[in-house]
Amino acid sequence: MSVHEQFVDDLSLYALGALQGEERLTVEKHLKDCPDCRHELAQLQGDLALLALSASGPKPPLRSRERLMAAIAKEPRRTRVRLVKRKTWWTALEWAAVAAMVMVILLLLRQNTDLRQRVAALEANSAGQHERLLQAKELIATLTSVDAVHFTLVAGKTPPQPQGKAIYVRSTSTLVFLASNMPELPPQKTYELWLIPTSGAPIPAGLFRPDTHGSAALIKPPLPAGIEAKTFAITVEPGPGSAAPTSTPIMVGIGG
Amino acid sequence: MLVSAIRSGDEQAMAQLYERYSAIVYSVALRVLGDTGVAEDILQEVFMRLWRSSDTFDATRGSLPGWLAVITRNRAIDSLRKRRPEADITDVVVSIEPDIAGAADSSRALEKIRGALGGMPLPQRAALEMAFFEGLSHTEIAEKTGEPLGTIKTRIRAGLLTLRKAFNP
Repeated sequence: MSVHEQFVDDLSLYALGALQGEERLTVEKHLKDCPDCRHELAQLQGDLALLALSASGPKPPLRSRERLMAAIAKEPRRTRVRLVKRKTWWTALEWAAVAAMVMVILLLLRQNTDLRQRVAALEANSAGQHERLLQAKELIATLTSVDAVHFTLVAGKTPPQPQGKAIYVRSTSTLVFLASNMPELPPQKTYELWLIPTSGAPIPAGLFRPDTHGSAALIKPPLPAGIEAKTFAITVEPGPGSAAPTSTPIMVGIGG
Repeated sequence: MLVSAIRSGDEQAMAQLYERYSAIVYSVALRVLGDTGVAEDILQEVFMRLWRSSDTFDATRGSLPGWLAVITRNRAIDSLRKRRPEADITDVVVSIEPDIAGAADSSRALEKIRGALGGMPLPQRAALEMAFFEGLSHTEIAEKTGEPLGTIKTRIRAGLLTLRKAFNP
């Protein structure tokens, strides 16, 4: 600990409040940067306190106490006295409990955020699916509506021919079949669509009777899973349909 | 303990603190001012300041009686010179070794202080007491005594070190 020599006397005067103007500013500036001189200043204040205590003697009159207590009563501090002092370990326990609660709250907040994000993602997904479902329903409703008017566009003066279009997705076993200009059938008969696999017997793919305009549709008829289709064919079968074709196909798919 | 109770707004603790230290505060103010009425005003002011801003007293940085004595002296000198308080009480950091809070310690400390003052050369003690209790600057003391300025500065510092040595031989 070394006090700067040039400030030795001035620090005493500064502690006494005897320095003014430039001298005072110089000491203050130095004190900001010098911990040793700050320490010495505190020591000097202590020395001055001893000097002050040398004046101890007379006691103030009683009225001074009354005056002070009356002033204090008129000016209560904001924080009031705690009547019961609690033990340190209990306080520590309280702090530990508070810390644990804070941890739990943080954990719950994080879980809550995760759940909110997942709900938002699910809602977005659900909204997308709902949209697609609406489109599909609209498409099906259009195709199957009794009010639907079907137009077949042909070249020149060729009369409209019976026509069927089968759209098949093997991986999902999904089939959509649309027919137009189909001849009217006797009441006891029905058209039956067949999936002709690449190997094996034809598989029933749905029964249909055309409307007054000769149009019909089959949307997702039940089919065994994963069958590879070579083509589709239509036969005329008895009313309840058949497990295997009982007549020669009247229409067979081309292309595919 | 008393100061922390006062921070909590305990008026009873303030009464106890007054019982313990009012004599020191009053004595210092009276010594500086030489007027009991003004000394009572300073006493009131110092304790009210402590009541309002006891948070500013840091027990780890000094003893309470020493701190009270120094801020009382500073406030009394300001009053003597009819000037506004120069420094906030928070600016006063008192590093003092002896614990003179207790009555026994207090009287023993007082004995030591008075012994140290009594042992000082008279010019040194006079310079020190003029600077501290009368609030005279070193220039004013030099003019009053006819001594060189440097001599006054040296006497003041030497006097303070003598007091310090009385407690840290």
